[in-house]
Amino acid sequence: MAILRLGYVQVRVTDLAEAKKHYVETLGLKVTAEEPGKLYLKGWDEWDHHSVVLQEGGVGIEKLGFKTHKNEDLDVIEKNVQTFGASVERMSKGESLEIGDGIRITSPSGHTIEVYNEITFLGSETGYINPYPFPRHEVGISLPALDHMLIMAEDVALNEKFFMDVFGMYPVEQIRPELDSPGRIATWLSAGQKNHDIAIVAGRDKGLHHFAFQSENWDKLLRAADIFAMDDVSIDVTPTRHGITRGQTIYFFDPAGNRNETFSGGYRAYPDRPTVIWTPDQLGRGIFSHTRELNAAFTEVYT
Amino acid sequence: MPVLTVLPDNERVRVKPDETILGALSASGYGCRVGCRRGGCGVCKVDLRDGSVHYAVAVSEEILTAEEVAAGTALACRAIPEGDVTIELRNEHLLLRSALLRSLRTVPATTTKE
Repeated sequence: MAILRLGYVQVRVTDLAEAKKHYVETLGLKVTAEEPGKLYLKGWDEWDHHSVVLQEGGVGIEKLGFKTHKNEDLDVIEKNVQTFGASVERMSKGESLEIGDGIRITSPSGHTIEVYNEITFLGSETGYINPYPFPRHEVGISLPALDHMLIMAEDVALNEKFFMDVFGMYPVEQIRPELDSPGRIATWLSAGQKNHDIAIVAGRDKGLHHFAFQSENWDKLLRAADIFAMDDVSIDVTPTRHGITRGQTIYFFDPAGNRNETFSGGYRAYPDRPTVIWTPDQLGRGIFSHTRELNAAFTEVYT
Repeated sequence: MPVLTVLPDNERVRVKPDETILGALSASGYGCRVGCRRGGCGVCKVDLRDGSVHYAVAVSEEILTAEEVAAGTALACRAIPEGDVTIELRNEHLLLRSALLRSLRTVPATTTKE
């Protein structure tokens, strides 16, 4: 297991003060550092310095970070990128705040991916010695941690191969044009046992479909939707289930229009679990299990 | 109260102070194509045919360029009419989502007499 998890996402927001209100007061993330035009945030159950970076100006994804298990993994991944034929450069400690030496890769889809092993340790809010199950004074929906993200790519099959070859990820579920087709409309990839760490859907290169946070259960999703109504959050899809991954979900937008998700459930992934395949005729049920209708927003609305 | 006229349907709705184009349409029972409703995706672009709008929040240049603004493109979800405004939808018609809402916010009589 070379990649531990999606460590951070850095997104652009049009108004940092508005974004701060959303991510801190509504979502309950904590501010761990501030720089001019930038805000570093983490969930209460995360121990690394940050999992979300907000950057003022524009909208969409600036970069994402994968944390490796060991320092040596960086060399292996660097070689894998060179073998694959994508661009990679070394990055030095401090180039990204609180992040150690690492490598910076551009995926075939044009996304900037930073791979690192060292990041400043802050610890979770409940601690690690005789902890209580959650912090006593919750803010907003008190999200515990970043979970996964979905990016857009013009060539999904090529980018799926990239994440498999370079990071050792494996496909958990796929949408194919035909059952036995080598083509891909979308793919959900895991680096370990998380249901998925990154997903790719056909669309404009460099696009961000959403990034998702863990939610404990269905009750928490309902409460989240209630609080979104109180805070005038633009909800894309009210609490429902994805056929793909079996996850329970709410899609919503931050004040700049970047899509967020709270995600709970889904099953545990294994590399030897057969990949689930969806065909276009059942795509509506795959994305939204109850309405069984693929809304236009899923494929057309992203930053 | 200012009036928003929507082409090609030629429907007229009232606009309350500080209400966006989308807000006025929704409150009047009408729907049109929208995405994030936060100015980030550009899905709700419409063409301004008459009058002017302003934005109470920052809108990304990547989504609405200066050239587009000059050409009269507006984001329905974020644009606030300044007085009477006429917009034209792009390749779609207004959907009547709620006859009840439409009846509750009365549509002003047309000023042009036949």
